[in-house]
Amino acid sequence: MADNYIYAPAHNIEGGFRCRVPLKGSRQIFMIDGGVQGTGRPLDIRFEKGRLYEEALQVIGIRTEKHPEDILMESRFHFAEGSSAKLILCSHTFAENPFRTDEKIEITVEAGASADIVIMQNEHNKAAHNTSYDIRLAGGASLKAVILTIHGGVIDNRINLSLDGPHAECDISGLYLVDGTQKVSNTLNVLHRVPECHSRELFKGILDNSATAYFNGLIHVFPDAQKTEAYQECHNLLLDRDARAFAQPQLEIYADDVKCSHGATNGRLNEDELFYMRSRGIPLKEAKVLQQLAFAYAVLDKISSPELKERMASLTERRLRGEFSDCNSCCRNCC
Amino acid sequence: MAENKILLEIKDLHASVGDKEILRGINLTIREGETHAIMGPNGSGKSTLSAVLAGRDNYTVTSGEVTFNGHNLLELSPEERSWEGIFLSFQYPIEIPGVTNVNFMRTAVNEHRRHRGLEPLNAADFLKLMRSKMEIVEMNPSFSSRGVNVGFSGGEKKRNEIFQMAMLEPRLSILDETDSGLDVDALRIVATGVNKLKRPDNASIVITHYQRLLDYIVPDVVHVLYKGRIIKTAGKELAREIEERGYDWIING
Repeated sequence: MADNYIYAPAHNIEGGFRCRVPLKGSRQIFMIDGGVQGTGRPLDIRFEKGRLYEEALQVIGIRTEKHPEDILMESRFHFAEGSSAKLILCSHTFAENPFRTDEKIEITVEAGASADIVIMQNEHNKAAHNTSYDIRLAGGASLKAVILTIHGGVIDNRINLSLDGPHAECDISGLYLVDGTQKVSNTLNVLHRVPECHSRELFKGILDNSATAYFNGLIHVFPDAQKTEAYQECHNLLLDRDARAFAQPQLEIYADDVKCSHGATNGRLNEDELFYMRSRGIPLKEAKVLQQLAFAYAVLDKISSPELKERMASLTERRLRGEFSDCNSCCRNCC
Repeated sequence: MAENKILLEIKDLHASVGDKEILRGINLTIREGETHAIMGPNGSGKSTLSAVLAGRDNYTVTSGEVTFNGHNLLELSPEERSWEGIFLSFQYPIEIPGVTNVNFMRTAVNEHRRHRGLEPLNAADFLKLMRSKMEIVEMNPSFSSRGVNVGFSGGEKKRNEIFQMAMLEPRLSILDETDSGLDVDALRIVATGVNKLKRPDNASIVITHYQRLLDYIVPDVVHVLYKGRIIKTAGKELAREIEERGYDWIING
């Protein structure tokens, strides 16, 4: 696949960065300030036809203080026919500069190929990161993506997903943890162009202080796309009266033999559950954390690698316990 | 004969929800080693009493005193009451999706240990303890990795309550209609579990509508609660009499 790229060992990265995510046998590529480490060029990964990649490919995007200006990052991932591969895309900021990053990610999954993607966004309060994902699935292709927005000033994910061939299926979920004055926005346009495709989306957010989250989810079913199944859910847990969550699910259905649904809720912590836990001797603060973890679990559970799932769960827990909030910047040894 | 030490003393307890007074002067003394049954028609305040003792904050105590093992119980948070040894077996146990039974109980047990100045149990010791306590209520070990009460049948939920009681070893357990929704076998298992946990220095309050549970958990004292007051107190034979005659003769007598 990416045989021409440098797989930089962690100790070559400035600032003593330690990524503890690398799973056994995973390969890593670093994108420093918008370009691949060593070449500075956009990333272009091609997974070969019919090949099943055991290793996960981890792409770690880092912004450093050497380039505080706005940058554009681009990467392309091409899953050729019948290939199967796992991707982990991480974004980090190293310095406390008010970074702005615009990122374009193109993902093409050809016929019968399968893509398993975990996206981890862990930046700092002054970082603005806009990512547009342009995803196309051919017939019988499958995509599973989990977007974890752990930390960031303004994070904007725009996902355009086009189901171009019959029997394509996708499962996209997101978990965003937002506090202070952070803003997270997820926009999804899922286009069912052809018959018999399945799509499923689950986005969940936990908001504290005066954080804001937006969810705009469009499912568009074209006239020919009979037997479509499309489901969408967005749920927010608001911990503070000043937190705001806006959910806008939209279904546009032009075919008549489809199964589609959407649902959105904004709620608070459940008092009955809190009392039950406290009555067993679990202090209020801990009971709240347990309940938030339970809320987040449905998304974390979508991560297929048990090892990665466990690490992401522990990162989520540390974030919910406020262990990142002391420092304004992203914690370098965060995950 | 010297009487056992007083564990719980309730004096003239009044409690309301909103403007509605539900408990209207409860007086009750429970000593170590005793089992008290509280019976009474629907709406008499039985569940309110148990919720007030456990520290549920949607009830307001308007007057009265509750002393538990030397502490002013009403000043304590629900978790502090648990650490001091109060345990409420819920009439409707709460489901907590995403929190496994094992994590839930490990957190609870270790918080209790922390309160007593003990180190947290390591994973192996904890699992050993958990398995031995699950046996008391004949609970399938596979339940430990499931979400707390999620997808449990009525009987499984009640078993889980008694399992939690076994783990926390309370001084005073309050069983709020533990028999509701149980079939005969589940009732026997749950009641047997409660009996196995009986010790000379702990006590129980058993809230029930039916004699059936009291065939297994034999009370020392039976109280009848009506309109927020205890209107009759007698020995275990009272439960059988209520089963036969209902409450009217007590209420109207």
